[in-house]
Amino acid sequence: MSKHQYAMVMDLNKCLGCQTCTIACKKLWTDRDGTGYMYWNNVETRPGLGYPRQWDRIGGGWRDGALQPSPLPTMDDYGHAWEYNYEQRLYEGKKQPVMPSPDPKSGVNWDEDVGGMNEDENYFFYLPRICNHCTYPACLEACPRKAIYKRDEDGIVVIDQDRCQGYRYCIKACPYKKIYFNEVTGKSEKCIFCYPRLEKGEVNACAAQCPGRLRFVGLLDDPESPVHKLVLVHKIALPLFPEKGTQPNVFYVPPFNPPKRENYGKSIQEDPRVPLDYLIYLFGPEVKDVIMRLETELKKTQEGGRSEALQLLIGRDAETRFHVRPPLVQIQV
Amino acid sequence: MRIRLLVIIVLVSLQLSAGSWAQTGVKLAAGQSLSVAASSAGIDTLLSGGPAAWNQIAAKHVALNRTPPLYDTDEPATLEIPSVDVRVARTGGKLLVQLTWRDATHDAVTLAEVPNTPPETRFRKVQTEADDRFFDAAAIMFPEKAGTGAIAPSLQMGDAEHPVAIYYWNATRGPMLMQAQGRSTTRRTGKTFPASGSYQNGQWSVIFQLPDLPAGTTVAFAVWNGGQKDRDGRKYFSVWQVLE
Ligand code: SF4
Ligand code: SF4
Repeated sequence: MSKHQYAMVMDLNKCLGCQTCTIACKKLWTDRDGTGYMYWNNVETRPGLGYPRQWDRIGGGWRDGALQPSPLPTMDDYGHAWEYNYEQRLYEGKKQPVMPSPDPKSGVNWDEDVGGMNEDENYFFYLPRICNHCTYPACLEACPRKAIYKRDEDGIVVIDQDRCQGYRYCIKACPYKKIYFNEVTGKSEKCIFCYPRLEKGEVNACAAQCPGRLRFVGLLDDPESPVHKLVLVHKIALPLFPEKGTQPNVFYVPPFNPPKRENYGKSIQEDPRVPLDYLIYLFGPEVKDVIMRLETELKKTQEGGRSEALQLLIGRDAETRFHVRPPLVQIQV
Repeated sequence: MRIRLLVIIVLVSLQLSAGSWAQTGVKLAAGQSLSVAASSAGIDTLLSGGPAAWNQIAAKHVALNRTPPLYDTDEPATLEIPSVDVRVARTGGKLLVQLTWRDATHDAVTLAEVPNTPPETRFRKVQTEADDRFFDAAAIMFPEKAGTGAIAPSLQMGDAEHPVAIYYWNATRGPMLMQAQGRSTTRRTGKTFPASGSYQNGQWSVIFQLPDLPAGTTVAFAVWNGGQKDRDGRKYFSVWQVLE
């Protein structure tokens, strides 16, 4: 466990699925050779396949103190990059429409907005994902090179590119499949929680750019930070797949709103839009209590009262959403 | 990750014909000697695999052992490469070592060349074609302080008192010089060395150019089969051999 821990809370009720976060991250960190398929931040439609597809069902993480096996996802699971034959159509007089090749069969957010059915009503929501900078990172434990470390000053988990030999035990071990192999460099890469930005007092690029204003950033152990309040005081944000045992430091406000069509006025728990079973699958049984708390807060404001938790979730300005401490470690030059 | 250290120690001890084995050294037994042939062929001829020159040198059949599963989550692996043939030639102040072994799967690719210009200046980037392939490889390890007599460093990548040099060759990524002083300390030095490899009829033949090593130097060999997802300590290894 680190001395301090940066954390992020994402309110899934507010995500637009616009992928601005994905692009912010990509432009900043993964616009290099070998990184095309890497999405340190990705946003997937739920219920759905996820990226890489079926990552939540293939293994990794901890059980009874032991790492769990998992296959390496393949390029079929990430989706192969494709190109369009513009030249043939535009310059060589081919009559057929412009076609992608190879034939796309999977990709990032491949099943966008497909979702699932809840009785006769379709439902879906977006799940933005970054590395969880876990308290007990399975990736770190799996690396025989000791190339992965958790920064004591802020809990950010990083891969030392000098030590990494590209063995990929970490990718197998991470139950969230948030490490990607760069075949060009022969090394593995992952989200760095924008630590170079944080060290300058700037919030993570994905959080800064998010038009939905649903990302909250701060130290979990800083009572002034929004993440501390949402997770530990109001208790309305939960980690994804807590049973994987890594203790993530990315938390989600579960999607509970709006209610199902024609259900306005009824308790959300009576007949929720997103089936409770699915939310329990993602966030564990505690999600029921969280939704109950959220509903109570909502009622309070609907009856003219004031809810500190909901005010915080609105996140009007950057000062509310982000509490980035000035450098925790002063580098002596 | 819980390393089955006990299993490793037991297995490694069993592989050693000598009775005494300690973390920092091992008394070597007879039968582990490796002769060095003076060759009149030039370095380039030998490095290019010239059969006429290499055929004159007697091969030593060195038995390979399979490391036991190191991690709880390892896939099982079979012992399908039981030995490596080693030929050692001295010429032009260098040692040239040829390793040949049978491997039914040829696990090597040609990676796309990365242009010399920085990626941000290019619209197209080189892409990762596959994330789940591992390549055939081989390595020769010897103590950095050569000629330390019959006491060899730990077979597990040397030890603190006996750092080792590792001449590693990868079928896709080529040769790289590594250094280690104990298990999990292996690092790339950024240096390389002349080497060549060819795969024909189910057999690898890889030639390493090493500095000249004095008689009595201990050397050990390792082979990885990419098709079995071998990498890291998941490999075949020989016990120490002594240069004559
Ligand atoms: S999410 Fe995966 S990669 Fe990130 S710290 Fe946890 S185990 Fe490691
Ligand atoms: S930028 Fe914000 S709203 Fe858009 S997809 Fe990302 S998390 Fe959702």
